[in-house]
Amino acid sequence: MSDHAAHAHGAPTTPWPLVISIGILFFIPLAFMFNFVHHQPFSAVLCLGVGAPLIIMGVIGWVREAIGGAEFPEMRGLGFGAMGWFILAEALIFLPTFATYWIMRLNAPEWPPEGTVDMPSLLPLIMTIILLSSSFTIHYAEEALEKGNVLVFRKLLLATMALGIIFLSMSMYEWNHLFHQNFTISTNIYSSVFFTITGLHASHVIVGLGIFMAILIPALYGTINHVVVRTGSLYWHFVDIIWFFVVSQMYFW
Amino acid sequence: MMYVLKDWIFTTDHKKIGLLYLIGSLAAFALAGCMALLMRAELSAIGPTITTNPNDYNVWLYFHGAAMILGFQIPALTGFLANYLIPLQIGARDVAFPRVNALSVWLFYMGIILALMTFVVPNPPDVMWTGYPPYSVLTPGNTALYTFTVLLLGFASILGGVNFLTTITFMRAPGIGWNQLNVFTWCIYGAFILQLIFVPVLGTAVTMIMLDKYVGTHFFDPSAGGDVLIYQNLFWFYSHPAVYVIFLPFIGIVFDIVATFARNRIFNYKAAIYGGIGGIVLLAGEVWIHHLYVTGMPDWIRVGQMITTLMISVPVGLLFISLVGTLYKGSISFKTPMLYGLSVIFLMLIGGLTGIPLAIVSLDLHVSDTYFIIGHFHYVMAVAGTFSIFGGVYYLYPKFTGRMFNETMGKIGFWLSFIGVNTVFFPMMIVGVTTGMPRRYWDYAQFPAAESYHVVMTAGAAIIAVGFIVILINWIHGMFRGEKAGSNPWGSRSLEWTTTSPPLAHGNWEAVPTIEEGWGPYEYGTRKA
Repeated sequence: MSDHAAHAHGAPTTPWPLVISIGILFFIPLAFMFNFVHHQPFSAVLCLGVGAPLIIMGVIGWVREAIGGAEFPEMRGLGFGAMGWFILAEALIFLPTFATYWIMRLNAPEWPPEGTVDMPSLLPLIMTIILLSSSFTIHYAEEALEKGNVLVFRKLLLATMALGIIFLSMSMYEWNHLFHQNFTISTNIYSSVFFTITGLHASHVIVGLGIFMAILIPALYGTINHVVVRTGSLYWHFVDIIWFFVVSQMYFW
Repeated sequence: MMYVLKDWIFTTDHKKIGLLYLIGSLAAFALAGCMALLMRAELSAIGPTITTNPNDYNVWLYFHGAAMILGFQIPALTGFLANYLIPLQIGARDVAFPRVNALSVWLFYMGIILALMTFVVPNPPDVMWTGYPPYSVLTPGNTALYTFTVLLLGFASILGGVNFLTTITFMRAPGIGWNQLNVFTWCIYGAFILQLIFVPVLGTAVTMIMLDKYVGTHFFDPSAGGDVLIYQNLFWFYSHPAVYVIFLPFIGIVFDIVATFARNRIFNYKAAIYGGIGGIVLLAGEVWIHHLYVTGMPDWIRVGQMITTLMISVPVGLLFISLVGTLYKGSISFKTPMLYGLSVIFLMLIGGLTGIPLAIVSLDLHVSDTYFIIGHFHYVMAVAGTFSIFGGVYYLYPKFTGRMFNETMGKIGFWLSFIGVNTVFFPMMIVGVTTGMPRRYWDYAQFPAAESYHVVMTAGAAIIAVGFIVILINWIHGMFRGEKAGSNPWGSRSLEWTTTSPPLAHGNWEAVPTIEEGWGPYEYGTRKA
């Protein structure tokens, strides 16, 4: 904010929120509507191509401005508390999908419904262990940072991100595997819920990785905002906890 | 010129962001009002009057409802009023996350752009603001547009909620305790807690609609084991609390207006805050079934939620008593903002009392989905909400423009719109009870007795339109020609009036205000020692 603050009224300005908003408009609603409503995949790809750079540019610009800390002293260090409120909202994004699942499953005449394939049980267990250990690595990364050990912090942060990426790849592998068995999102009510919930969770893992990226790159240049690290780590723990609900309800019930 | 434009579209200042919300939400209000006029014109006589295509009526109805609630009332209350007032009332130099605040307002504008695409896409959405399946899944209309409008506005609300809860919790000026906050600040606190809990549920519900329609899931498809009632439950699980998301800020601004123009303390402050606002926040999520009484629920659910619905009139009553008690032995002056404040008390009384029969299962079954419902919720939410927003704009007008509006024109605009709304919405309740005419019909040949009422209502709608044009002219005229307002034209004790009009663009005050021992926003020297 500071480099933009110099002109007439001294009021702070930043272009990035507007850039990100326009990017989101193209990347999600317009792309989806061109593809699924108007069946023009080329226009949809065009929208993705406009939206993605805008969002990435906006986030980079935002992080560069904000990573140094807030302008007024009373605004510093509030991110952690705010993340608590945000997690409340996030949890309530998941709740309706689970509620829908429970209601449909408990009212169903037979379960699993017709068309369901045998769900793997080894793979989700491995995925659970991977995500759980990533919660430990980020926790120790945070501890290392508190002690001032930046090198260990960076390594553990990288390890966390690697575990997150492995988790996502396994998730994709499994989806692909299920698609090949003709178990897709439109097969039956179980598949609808399964792909929606696992997809929703995976999107949260991606957001978590994005946050870590926004911590890692400035950290490589020597800027580390401790509040952002604690906030990102809290979010990651939340994503981890949600996974326990996902895995227990989707695979082992 | 470029600097001015950049100052606005790149701003992170909470006051400018608040005004951006005001501009966007008033635009939504104007368009939604035009849709209402079209509907009223169509209903002015039996048979087709201005269109022969019933689906036109559906699209108007969709846009009117969605734009009024999601585009006007929620953004004007939790966007404009909260943004402009909260940092000023708690003595903060800005909100906790100014950039996130800017992101919220631009996401809101992207939502408005999507909503406006209703008028250009080939098959506009025609799903009301409720989007009930199976119709919303089977219609040729563009339900995705509805979903994404809700998602963008909802995401903006969630970010706003996180921002303002953090701001109020951590950024009060040193010396301002929880019991010294303005009632409006408390109401925003309650409203945003509700937003954070309930908006995500709506977001997920409308996303599931979209997945059902375009991606092939079966959430609401009974032939595959899905259940349409799940959607109705999820939708009203959000949308009833959404009424309180609107109600709390509007009653909060009315509290501030009434206390200022009655020169009096808030009667029963703690009962209003902890009982009234706290009670509403606690009960808001346990009453939604009263929207679903006719869907074939088991009796124990209906009776249980009838009791919780009736219980919620207790905290509302506490707020009401506090409002009336604040007038008692006050020194009342009837300036334009105060007229709006007092009219809201009256409108809320009618809307609230007509809500009680609707809460009772045995009575509601007879008037469910008739014009009585439309009359009720327009009184309690639409009109009372809109009047308090307008009162709030008049109240803050000298602060954000630095000039005064024309008092006579303000009063004319008020009385025109006040007479207009009562001409429209009171007959609606009579039509609903006496003829049983259902809502959402574009024609009513089966209900000839309703026609004369509909003529009156359409005339009332025209009066409202004239009233709002007068109000708008007054606002625009005052911005350029109004006499200069001092920093505190109303003589309020609240913190927002201690800074200049308009406040400093950066930081609101020269320094964070110092709070003296025993200061309070309503200390007019009338409290008994």
